[in-house]
Amino acid sequence: MNVVEVSHLTVRYGSFTALSDFSCEIQEGCTGLLGPNGAGKTTLIKTLMGFVNPQSGTARILGQDVVASGPSIRQRIGLMPEQDCHIPGMTAVSFVAYAGELAGMPSAQAIQRAHEVLEHCGLGEARYRNVETYSTGMKQRIKLAQALVHGPKVLFLDEPTNGLDPRGREEMLDLIRSISHGKGVNVLVSSHVLRDIERVCDRVVVVMKGQLRATGTIKELKAIQGQPLDVEVREPNNAFASKLMEIGAIVGPPKNNIYRVQLAGDVLKAHVTVQSAARATGAQIRGFRLAERSLEDAFLDAVQPGEPPHILHAPTTGGAQ
Amino acid sequence: MIQLQNASRWYGQVIGINDVTCEIGPGVTALLGMNGAGKSTLMRLITGQMQPTTGSVTVDGQLVFGNPEVYRKLGYCPEIDDFYEHWSGRKFVTHLARLSGFSAADAKSRAERVLGEVGMADRADKKIAGYSKGMRQRIKLAQAMVHDPQAILLDEPLNGLDPVGRREFINLLGNLADLGKTILVSSHILFEVEQMTRSILLLNRGRLLASGDLGVIRQLIDKYPHRVRVESHEPRRVAERLVTLPFVLNIEFDPRGDALEVQTREPGQFYDFIPQLVLDENLPIEGFSSPDNNLESIFGYLVEA
Amino acid sequence: MASPIADVSYRDYDGPLFPARYRWWVIAKQGILLASKKRNLQVLSFVSAWYYVAMIIVLFFVNQGGTGGDMRSRAMESIMKQVIWKDQFLHGFSFAQLPLLLVTLILGAGAIANDNRSRALLVYLSRPCTKLDYLIGKFVGIFVPIFVILAVPTILFYAYCALSFNQYGFLRDAPYLLPQMLVVIVVSAAFHAGLVLAVSAMFDQGRVAGATYAAMYFITNFFTVAMAITWASADGKAPGPVKHLFYGSIDGLQIGFCKALLDTSGSRPFVGSQKGTEAQLPVPPPPMMAISLIILALIVGSAFLTWRRIRAVEVVG
Repeated sequence: MNVVEVSHLTVRYGSFTALSDFSCEIQEGCTGLLGPNGAGKTTLIKTLMGFVNPQSGTARILGQDVVASGPSIRQRIGLMPEQDCHIPGMTAVSFVAYAGELAGMPSAQAIQRAHEVLEHCGLGEARYRNVETYSTGMKQRIKLAQALVHGPKVLFLDEPTNGLDPRGREEMLDLIRSISHGKGVNVLVSSHVLRDIERVCDRVVVVMKGQLRATGTIKELKAIQGQPLDVEVREPNNAFASKLMEIGAIVGPPKNNIYRVQLAGDVLKAHVTVQSAARATGAQIRGFRLAERSLEDAFLDAVQPGEPPHILHAPTTGGAQ
Repeated sequence: MIQLQNASRWYGQVIGINDVTCEIGPGVTALLGMNGAGKSTLMRLITGQMQPTTGSVTVDGQLVFGNPEVYRKLGYCPEIDDFYEHWSGRKFVTHLARLSGFSAADAKSRAERVLGEVGMADRADKKIAGYSKGMRQRIKLAQAMVHDPQAILLDEPLNGLDPVGRREFINLLGNLADLGKTILVSSHILFEVEQMTRSILLLNRGRLLASGDLGVIRQLIDKYPHRVRVESHEPRRVAERLVTLPFVLNIEFDPRGDALEVQTREPGQFYDFIPQLVLDENLPIEGFSSPDNNLESIFGYLVEA
Repeated sequence: MASPIADVSYRDYDGPLFPARYRWWVIAKQGILLASKKRNLQVLSFVSAWYYVAMIIVLFFVNQGGTGGDMRSRAMESIMKQVIWKDQFLHGFSFAQLPLLLVTLILGAGAIANDNRSRALLVYLSRPCTKLDYLIGKFVGIFVPIFVILAVPTILFYAYCALSFNQYGFLRDAPYLLPQMLVVIVVSAAFHAGLVLAVSAMFDQGRVAGATYAAMYFITNFFTVAMAITWASADGKAPGPVKHLFYGSIDGLQIGFCKALLDTSGSRPFVGSQKGTEAQLPVPPPPMMAISLIILALIVGSAFLTWRRIRAVEVVG
């Protein structure tokens, strides 16, 4: 089931075309929205939230048209914006409860739910303090809390780990994971930090220059043709590399003590081959695994100008991943 | 080149940094720490915006504070984003070059060169107010480089850049380091930092927790034994064999049944032993790797609660 | 069977949700609640009613003195008979203007300005709230407290006079006094609320917006005082425009409207009925049509300006 359907969307600001004939489908679960700055990610989110009206094309969230039923959609979606935003002069609890009431919750439910959501986001006693006194990490959590309070079915997160230190980043990602997996909330994460997207999302949509560039599961995007191997050694050893090449392997130059090796045959056999080569040449192998493109590399490849778009349509029902 | 000797700085009761002694030499060094650990304070001390309350901060042996000779050798790319918004990028960089003491012609040519290096040559004439975050970061770097300093300090330079921009920026810093400059980068995105350098300075609550090479640091973290993930479709058979090894401390099975995780204090011995398991005893091992041998795990180990 | 360990992980909200209309009331309610909690507002609301309170005391004692049959009592009685009731309300209203300025500043200076700074509009617009809801909600949130602060003392004073001084022709002289005053108060509250919201929307710091509004008030007030002096020194023969320009200030417009509606030129405050030989000659009321149109234009103009300033598109990224 498609959570968001965008069809031939064109959005212009004056003479500048931000999205041009853009179509994509976002499925259930957690999806990452990637793209260079200025590619149209923010415009897409603005259009889906109803802040901007498209010149042509349609966008539907949960089956409802964004332009026609904006207010009713906004009762069921939540936005965690990139910039700091809060209602001045309120404590965290009253802010989140107010946000809930604005979405249409009765005030008793709003307060109850506010406490629940704040608890879940990890704001304990701090919830009785004024939001203006919060640190960066807490402000991010409040933004998430105000997006969740009315129980949205679709959540848009714009740079959720912005400004967070590694610990905070981890906690935020865990939080997002706990919400998006198994709780029926569909999440769309827009971020530049691909590592974060890798940890949290299952699928990605890549946007560039207002057009769809690639879409598919992360596994698909990261898979490399031919199943090469990454062999990590204690220190670079030319004899080892030559020995492997003698047997017919293709060996790339070592990077950070890691050789990329292309070898025929299954993984077990390959391991044996590599280990004997290492034993023969005195190399100590510290790591042996299937090479995976990092999402970063996959992304950079996808956005090379001139590359045809990779539209990978993964089967939506079953299918081996 | 940059040396701190028992440097401390506090603001009233609040401690910025506490008794930090370290040396930062040529190449890229990463400055890491939680928010509030003292990274910005450290940067400000090195760039001479503040004086240490006790101890000393020197560059090439000279005290930094109030010393224009030292300022010439430093370039600073701060986190804050305040510019003269109505100026163009070119004008901004040229002007700052002039402030460093270059003649008008000299400043202009330097600015051109530097703008080309950061990739802003074609866009530098627009007003800064219209710049995206990425463009602003580049202008900041340009003004830090324009007077050809020996050391450049950058506070969260990758913030707001898209992956393409980040990659370019990191390459740029790498090039500068190759020229022998001292680069100090403070960042939260550990994955990126790892690609830039293996030399780190880790601060926590104002104290220096670790400084030096990543690999060496990992070796020395006693408290957390090394973890090695061994992939095999017969994990129990492999485990049976590994359990007899004296340097294996702990074995955990992956619930998916296709791997096990071994903990050991002697990773070297373990890696030496694997060829025997694979070649001589024919154990079906498909691969192995060390999941905690990255900056993020090390950071987590060192910075506790 | 229920597990002994509760599941406190995230759960969905599937409770009732009001339909996505009339969100403005939530915003207004919030504004009113915040206002009612402010201590200085409570104090100021008493201060703004000071004339009424003073008048009640004066009238009470004069009235007391009027009972009995001796000469002094009869003098007192004649004073009571000459009281122009309309003017008492006019004075109550006009003396409330300065405290009202402070009330408006407290309520409204930061209303939109603070929201601009903390980008609160993002929060509002990501709910089923439209710009119109926001605007109306903010407006009502300022309008209602101002209305209450003005109306309550007026009504109480009216009740007191109606009950105590009917024999002096209170109800007979000015039968429509209460509804008229309520209209004046509605217009006044709307005017203040509209104007301060427009000023607040121009800035993103509450203090700066407040200072601007106060400056507007005092500068125009200075202008009014200058006109008054001109009028007084010309002994009633000043050129026509002076008479009208006298009302060209924030409180002048409102006082003018009040005078026009009540159809009075004003008189000395505190039980004065004659024009007197004082230098201060009361200025006749401006034409009703003109002043209503001006006030209406200003209110509509402010609303338009505020609307234009609230832009959603630039707010996100």
